[in-house]
Amino acid sequence: MNESEEINISNEVNSDESDSDELILTAAQVIQIMEEAWSNEKFAPEILPHKYEIVECILGQISHVEENLSNLINDDLRRSIHQMELDRLRYLVSSYLRTRLEKIEAFVCCILKEEDERASRNKLSYLSPSELEFAKAYRDGLDQHFTDTLKLLPAEILNNKIWQNEIITPNLDAFVFAKAKSQIEGVMIERDEEFVDLEKGSQVIISYSNISNLITNDKVSLI
Amino acid sequence: MFGDSAYTLIKELDRNPGTLPPYNNELVGEVKKEICHLVQQNHADSMANDESILGENGTNYFPTIRARHAGVQRNLRCLLAYHYNRVKCLRTMRWEFGSILPPDIKANLSSIETNWFSKYSSMLAKYMRSISEDGGLNLTVDLNPPKALYIEVKCLVDYGQYELSDGSVLLLKENSRHFLPRNECEDLIRQGVFQHIVT
Amino acid sequence: MNPDEVEFIGEKQLISIIPTFNSSTIHLVSGDIGPFRASLPLNVPLWIAINLKQQRKCKIQPPDWMDVTRLEQIKDDEKSSRTFTKMPSEHYMIEAKLLLGYAADDISRADEIRTVIKDIWDIRMSKIRSSVDMLIKNGGSYAAVDNLTLMEINTMRPLLPQAMDQIHRMKKERSHLRPPTQNTTLSLLNSSHTSTSK
Repeated sequence: MNESEEINISNEVNSDESDSDELILTAAQVIQIMEEAWSNEKFAPEILPHKYEIVECILGQISHVEENLSNLINDDLRRSIHQMELDRLRYLVSSYLRTRLEKIEAFVCCILKEEDERASRNKLSYLSPSELEFAKAYRDGLDQHFTDTLKLLPAEILNNKIWQNEIITPNLDAFVFAKAKSQIEGVMIERDEEFVDLEKGSQVIISYSNISNLITNDKVSLI
Repeated sequence: MFGDSAYTLIKELDRNPGTLPPYNNELVGEVKKEICHLVQQNHADSMANDESILGENGTNYFPTIRARHAGVQRNLRCLLAYHYNRVKCLRTMRWEFGSILPPDIKANLSSIETNWFSKYSSMLAKYMRSISEDGGLNLTVDLNPPKALYIEVKCLVDYGQYELSDGSVLLLKENSRHFLPRNECEDLIRQGVFQHIVT
Repeated sequence: MNPDEVEFIGEKQLISIIPTFNSSTIHLVSGDIGPFRASLPLNVPLWIAINLKQQRKCKIQPPDWMDVTRLEQIKDDEKSSRTFTKMPSEHYMIEAKLLLGYAADDISRADEIRTVIKDIWDIRMSKIRSSVDMLIKNGGSYAAVDNLTLMEINTMRPLLPQAMDQIHRMKKERSHLRPPTQNTTLSLLNSSHTSTSK
């Protein structure tokens, strides 16, 4: 909880970097990353790469402060300020994880298919291990549910598992508000080959599909 | 008319957004029966095909078969929509009420739905437990950004004694007002015991 | 994003307070706050400032721009500019709402300030409406929204993104010249999302 107390977070945080240097982040920077991830996740139509290490780190900080809080019995003011900060952090993390869970449930088949593809190409997984486990359980639960409710129907229908053909996918063309984190050149805005350059700090409304790669590269954030 | 039962089923969904009326076993059965019937007829006609499809008497079964097939597809889609939407509604209720449903809602579920609910409930609980190393994180609270630490609430029912997390005990009577830490109230607000007084 | 969430983000903004109490530095996860010395000003995040103010433990020093002359100037600039001018604070509306709501006694001419800020907001809102109107009429698929604050952007949600999405879909249909898919009455399963059926 001291600012000088730095947190080591492995380089997995920056997804596709392959250098083995460890990133050293202060707690304040970790919160900053979490806030941005929260906002990105809220507005992106599809699920984004997980920030499991960041979540773990903040939850670790929360329980660390909670432990120390019990020693502060005689100082209501400090206690209440710490408590409020914990509430804010807990909200941030919960809301972020809830948003992801909603997407996982809505697009479960599509997301699991993409995860399989990523795994087969040795790419980093977008879901955290526990999210992946949840997603599989959720899919199996739905599968079982439809199998049970549709029983007594002709075998050719049941065996085809027709509900699996009704896959719901996110609308990647959805329009979003985005802010450039650095100078970016040649962002495509229209299929008819129109391009635009974004100054650092500029804000636009644009189709998600035109900037999705810039979010994972940390060049723009959604607002 | 074929397709009518399926249509009624969808109408029922449309009329009751966000709520769970009693599971319509009868109508679901009708739709299923119709599907079986159509499939059977198509079977029969496709057997007949070979001889008479382009036979002299001019009967062409293809359009009929195709229409029946479309009917089957439509009925199936309605069945899926009906059941999927109910599941989504149940999901919302898990987040609102926790793992134990109020009896009046429980009474409206099919046994298969009850099954799904308890499965969903436990997979969610398992996921929440796995979030952090020490004991997990309950995602069904902290639903809104924290405001002032204390909020004023009005008690709507005679609830009786209620113990706060610091061990002190409150007597909650109808119309009594309390000034309490926000996180202590969230559950009771959701259950309709408290009403948040916004000034 | 609901207004509470926008406020949640805006509450991180630093603001100067004059505490009425003494206390050593508080080591928060997000950084150190303090030390607090009675009558010595210091910067704290807005959420702490409001909390202390509610407990009558500080006086709030309104930000420089929260001043009638300054705001009148901003209002005139906004009026005469075709585009959106840069606001003195990324979260001016939230700061105004919270400070004028909880600490009006620390702000001189609070009522006038409230009115000017409301005017500025209204001018900007009407600009938003006319630009959105133009954007939609031109069937635009991209627009710069520079200098708009989060709260203002939030007022365009979800109407504008959804309208642009519809236009986009129509364009796409036209360019592919495909007959529309036949599932208009049966799309309940996918009510809020697009579906791809194989």
